[in-house]
Amino acid sequence: MNRLLSGVSAGVMMLVLCECGALAADLPGKFEGVTIDAKLIGGQQYEALYARIPEWEKLTGAKVNILSKKNHFELDKEIKSDIASGSLTWCVGSNHSSFAPQYPDIYTDLGALLPKEEIDAFVPANVAASTLGGKLVMLPRAQFDVSALYFQKSLYADDAKKAAYKEKYGQDLVPPDTWEEVTRQAEFFAAPPDFYGTQFAGKEEAINGRFYEMLVAEGGEYLDKDGKPAFNSEAGVRALDWFVNLYKAKAVPAGTTNYLWDDLGQGFASGTVAINLDWPGWAGFFNDPKSSKVAGNVGVKVQPKGSSGKRTGWSGHHGFSVTENCSNKEAAASLVWWLTNEDSQKLEAAAGPLPTRTAVWEWDIEQAKTDPYKTEVLKAFQEAAQNAFPVPQTAEWIEISNAVYPELQAAILGDKTSKEALDSAAEKATAILEEAGKL
Amino acid sequence: MLSAQRLGFGGRLGRMTRAPVNVAIMKFPRLSAPTLLLLPALIVLAAVVIVPLALSLYSSFTPFRLTRPYTFFVFIGLRNYITLLSDPDFWAAFGRTVLLLTIALNLEMVLGLGLAMLVERASRGQRFLRTLMMFPMMFSPILVGFQFKFMFNDNVGLVNNALQGLGLTDRAIPWLIEGPLAFFSILVAEVWSSTAVFAILILAGLLAMPKEPIEAARVDGCTPWQTFRYVTWPFIMPFAYIAMTIRSLDVARAYDIVKIMTDGGPAKRTELLWTIIARTGYSDAKMGLANAMAYVSILLSILFTVYFYRKLAAARTQIGSEW
Amino acid sequence: MDDNTAHRIKKRLASVAHTLGLLLAMLAICLPGIWIVLSSLRPTVEIMAKPPIWIPQELSFDAYIAMFSGIGRGGIPVLDYFRNSLIIAITSTVIAIAIGLAGGYAFARHRFRGKSGLFLGFMLTRTVPGIALSLPLFFVYARIGIIDTHFGLILAYVALNVPFTIWLIDGFFRQVPRDLAEAAQIDGCTRWQAFWQVEFPLAGPGIASAAIFAFLTSWNEFALASQLTRSTNSKTLPVGLLDYTAEFTIDWRGMCALAVVMIIPALTLTFIVQKHLVSGLTSGAVKG
Repeated sequence: MNRLLSGVSAGVMMLVLCECGALAADLPGKFEGVTIDAKLIGGQQYEALYARIPEWEKLTGAKVNILSKKNHFELDKEIKSDIASGSLTWCVGSNHSSFAPQYPDIYTDLGALLPKEEIDAFVPANVAASTLGGKLVMLPRAQFDVSALYFQKSLYADDAKKAAYKEKYGQDLVPPDTWEEVTRQAEFFAAPPDFYGTQFAGKEEAINGRFYEMLVAEGGEYLDKDGKPAFNSEAGVRALDWFVNLYKAKAVPAGTTNYLWDDLGQGFASGTVAINLDWPGWAGFFNDPKSSKVAGNVGVKVQPKGSSGKRTGWSGHHGFSVTENCSNKEAAASLVWWLTNEDSQKLEAAAGPLPTRTAVWEWDIEQAKTDPYKTEVLKAFQEAAQNAFPVPQTAEWIEISNAVYPELQAAILGDKTSKEALDSAAEKATAILEEAGKL
Repeated sequence: MLSAQRLGFGGRLGRMTRAPVNVAIMKFPRLSAPTLLLLPALIVLAAVVIVPLALSLYSSFTPFRLTRPYTFFVFIGLRNYITLLSDPDFWAAFGRTVLLLTIALNLEMVLGLGLAMLVERASRGQRFLRTLMMFPMMFSPILVGFQFKFMFNDNVGLVNNALQGLGLTDRAIPWLIEGPLAFFSILVAEVWSSTAVFAILILAGLLAMPKEPIEAARVDGCTPWQTFRYVTWPFIMPFAYIAMTIRSLDVARAYDIVKIMTDGGPAKRTELLWTIIARTGYSDAKMGLANAMAYVSILLSILFTVYFYRKLAAARTQIGSEW
Repeated sequence: MDDNTAHRIKKRLASVAHTLGLLLAMLAICLPGIWIVLSSLRPTVEIMAKPPIWIPQELSFDAYIAMFSGIGRGGIPVLDYFRNSLIIAITSTVIAIAIGLAGGYAFARHRFRGKSGLFLGFMLTRTVPGIALSLPLFFVYARIGIIDTHFGLILAYVALNVPFTIWLIDGFFRQVPRDLAEAAQIDGCTRWQAFWQVEFPLAGPGIASAAIFAFLTSWNEFALASQLTRSTNSKTLPVGLLDYTAEFTIDWRGMCALAVVMIIPALTLTFIVQKHLVSGLTSGAVKG
């Protein structure tokens, strides 16, 4: 395989080549004698896919050398360390839409390396979230995350509860469609310390993400069009008040400000929480009698909408990227394509995670026909995916998040008012952006 | 009988630089015995600690950001340190760390001493008990973190379940949320995982202790308390201080526990030096600032270490003089 | 007579109090650990139940079977991790003890200039927080190409353990009267023989406790291992624990099962080594 890509003109040349040469049919291609060094996300949920790598090696004649397999946060640390020490010598890396904006320059534009029809086969929103400054920095794998509302079905079938709710609020007790209804029902269902209306993740990027999507649902924006923090608006206060009021009303567990995803999942599975906004990864867990008390009693619905009429849809997905330093970008791109092609996505989606290719969504729903729960889950998440939006694509997102979340916690716990907390958070976020030269 | 000179070096340099040293120096360039014996340790420590340390000291004078390698070569003098000095969050974390260290170390020492004496007095199953005593040391701190986080979970955790089950409370106690409670929960996890270190060292001291002085004390009619206070305690004190020193250095391993249990939250109520440094360094990628924080916190460790070290030297002199 | 009975009752009471205290202490120590072991055997639905299920209803080895089932069926490369952990922990312990013996002996038996300072200096190398060390260490290791190797981690752990092995061993050599070795030398032993045959056995308990420490530190260390290892070439068990966490989910039961796999060898080794804590004492020579 001749190395067509070298020097500064690589991008331009590739564009020309793509128009005349590379077709979908040519994939995966032939790369005899090439070795691709890769850093992949590890963990049992993610590794089943890598069993498909030997097949790619056989078809292309290339070898894949896996340098590292780690949890995503550890991999993030490792990639930062590699950038810092100038040891970016590998070709393919696992990536994530929430982390990618931190290192925009190390990954190459896959749009120039792969045929257009292959890229068009992905869900457009996912491709948009993978594109930074016009560069397609990663191909999404079938590990797409957006939240939907899980709830205990039996609560909504209980005649006594229905009557009591109707009497108190003058409305029918049905699974909620707005956040206002969620608040009302959460307060209605709550009976601490044995039972809670709902719960939310309360720390780190998790609470910031939840606040972010609530902010959007309330019609606000996190950063305005000039990139300036704008979350301390009226919409911001409304969004934060949603969390504060639930906490004050004791409709959520008192420990909720220390919860991360694992605590939330265990909480809902224990049957002590009525309504739970959560990720698709838990769908199987919640409905498995070995892991969950609410198995058989789980309903799933699209995320509720805020007062602006928009639904909350903070989302993220995993993907694979090719580095700028890679000496054989075509081979690397072929591997990335292989790990995200239809067969790969089917393999991953069959185990529960959500796909990012339109065709695989259809296939997935078709497969679930005989399983009413899975069908309900997929339908709910497919609808939820339409409201999905990624985090603001700024390199400082994680840093801002770390500065903002303690302020959100302070408001929820009552140390500050929502407005005070948001003002001081905005001040810190502005300082971070100014220091980075973005403002 | 052991003399003071043999047992300890009493902290006075004067006494040590006597004739044998001069002989060793005269033989130069042949390496003296102590130099030879210490050489391997020096080489390993220099390779693994000194060089990286110099690098990170340097980077604390730069605005080094992991994601922008060129910032490693920008010199900004003391700016990071000045930022720190005026950062109330950092000093709050600093104070909290000192408090946690002080309480945890003392508690661990008292409990460890008690445990060691209980085990030492057991007539049967010593081996089994000694192994069991070290059980918590076999748990990786990450695991300890998850374990205690789940146990202290306010909704489905073991602790609240037990309390509610026994009818001791009818509310869900938010263990990891309220300031003092969260501090307490972290302390429990830390003490559980590390008391064994004290216990094993003090036990080794107890086992190495000659039996005659105790017999003699008993014959002289001392009460058990007096025997403990004036015979046993002075003997095991050096071991207790060794344990203290080791733990004061090593206590940063509690980072993994705190990181998973609360990560300094909520609203910075349990923020410690380690959590703030790690977040600044890796998550925010501001390694220069993080290293400046690390160097300020090294000062703290040095203070603790030197303090216990002097106590140790004093304790050694004391047994020397008593026996 | 009366006095005698009173004395006997008192002794009896003390013995009961002692047993009771021991029992309570051991319970406090073991319960959280046993909870982890149980968690690995019970379905998750029982672990985080409310109201709690105190008596396990259903025990199974599913989590262990899954662990060894290979990738894609809940498995993780546990055998590789195990091999790495064993090699790294044992090698680094042996080396740290050897270096510690030499250093500890030098401090306990020799006088030289700057001894106190050097001693303190050794200890102070450990005051460096992991965070200040891990990245620069990574830089250096990346330059010389020993990232993700056994050697790299062994070297780091030896350095981590040497200061306190020196310190511990020094402390124990101090307890061994110098006269003993001198007597042996007068009896015709060389200094080397005197060391191995007289002083080394007497310092046995110290060396054993230092070895237990060094081993357990290396066996459980996470922060440096997560920075310096990358793949199954060198990843150790504590780093492997994170294989059970995904971005939004955690397999607590699987994690507990791996924890048990980690604990068993550590417990066995500790059990074997701890008996040396008492050896060397029986002769009663310590009193000098």
